[in-house]
Amino acid sequence: MTHASPLELMHAEIDGELNWHQKGELAQLVLADAQARAEREGLRRVCAALDALTAVEPPGDLRSSILAALPQVASPRVRSAAFVPDWRIAAAVAAVLIAGAVVFETGRGPRLTGSEAVGTMAAAEGLTLDTVRLDSGPVQGRVRLYRQGSGLALAFEVRASAPVDALVTGDGATLRVSSLGPRTRVQLPGFDPDTHAVEVSFFVNGHRVGGATLKAGRP
Amino acid sequence: MIGLGQPFACRTVLVTEDDDRALVERCLRGDRSAFEQLVVRYQKPVFNAALRLLHSPEDARDVAQTTFLKAYEHLASYEASFKFYSWLYRIAVNEALDALHARKPSEALDGSEPDQTGGPEQVAEGEQLGRAIESELAQINPDLRAVIVLRHLMHLSYQDMSDILVLPEKTVKSRLYSARQLLRERFQQHGLKT
Repeated sequence: MTHASPLELMHAEIDGELNWHQKGELAQLVLADAQARAEREGLRRVCAALDALTAVEPPGDLRSSILAALPQVASPRVRSAAFVPDWRIAAAVAAVLIAGAVVFETGRGPRLTGSEAVGTMAAAEGLTLDTVRLDSGPVQGRVRLYRQGSGLALAFEVRASAPVDALVTGDGATLRVSSLGPRTRVQLPGFDPDTHAVEVSFFVNGHRVGGATLKAGRP
Repeated sequence: MIGLGQPFACRTVLVTEDDDRALVERCLRGDRSAFEQLVVRYQKPVFNAALRLLHSPEDARDVAQTTFLKAYEHLASYEASFKFYSWLYRIAVNEALDALHARKPSEALDGSEPDQTGGPEQVAEGEQLGRAIESELAQINPDLRAVIVLRHLMHLSYQDMSDILVLPEKTVKSRLYSARQLLRERFQQHGLKT
């Protein structure tokens, strides 16, 4: 005799872990008990359905975004001078891409007065630091803070019925971004990469309609 | 909505154990292309594991990316006596569970209300059935969800699951049995015809 319960025998059967003696024991059990029979059948169906679930292809740019971010997190034994130029080139390319589209300001008030900054697609993305979902209010979607080169960057994926502007602040630095799109990436030049958090406020028609605090991972 | 695609083929990683170790060694010697091969090899299972745990393609992407970056960062601490994919999946599962715990309470997925994206009445076969099952999976406790994902979607052994979850095999089995029972009850409760 085994010390396993009927349910344990059923699960073990699904996992192919029953010996011949246990198989006989389970067979006798389900033969004599309709409820056990139904239980066994139900479990088998659930497991078969789970086993039949199919995998999806990862995003096409996942690999490139991972590889582009690698030099920013050098492995202790992998750290080598060979990676430094790549990292610097990536940072420089990202900065050039962003510079033409983003206007950086410091020391200005939180009120938006115009479209001083326009979000754009940044170069390959780095390590994600925090993500906040926007699931209430007129602005929906999410905003993500990540490392880009030696600095920080934000990825906006927002939807709204009217044009949305954003005001980003952190440790005295301020950045205004106008007309956020469904996939807007902006670098945060001048923001301390060691800052503990970045505040984002959303504006529609000049009125603040929501906000988010993204942690940069530093205490 | 989580789409459906190719069947899981995670069993194939079992034959690449030695290859993995060689790639890790090359990577530690500074061969970046070796890590790229590891990314190519494992991005799909890592992404899918995160997807089934988080039920959000965007969050799964973030977790997959963070997983590989952390793996790269800590590659020197990887012990070759363990399977590389177990080590990698452990990072992925932990990252996904951390992401789940970081979600706001309103987004917690341990409630009793089913996702209405595929109600029982509409559930028939194929994709709809798959989506309905995924929706039910997304409603159960993350710890139980993790064992289902590792066992039924990634087809890992109890030993591998034990390594990944850092739990005794007995506990892994117990959780798996509980998770199956719970899913069976939820399937019945919501009229899911499997």
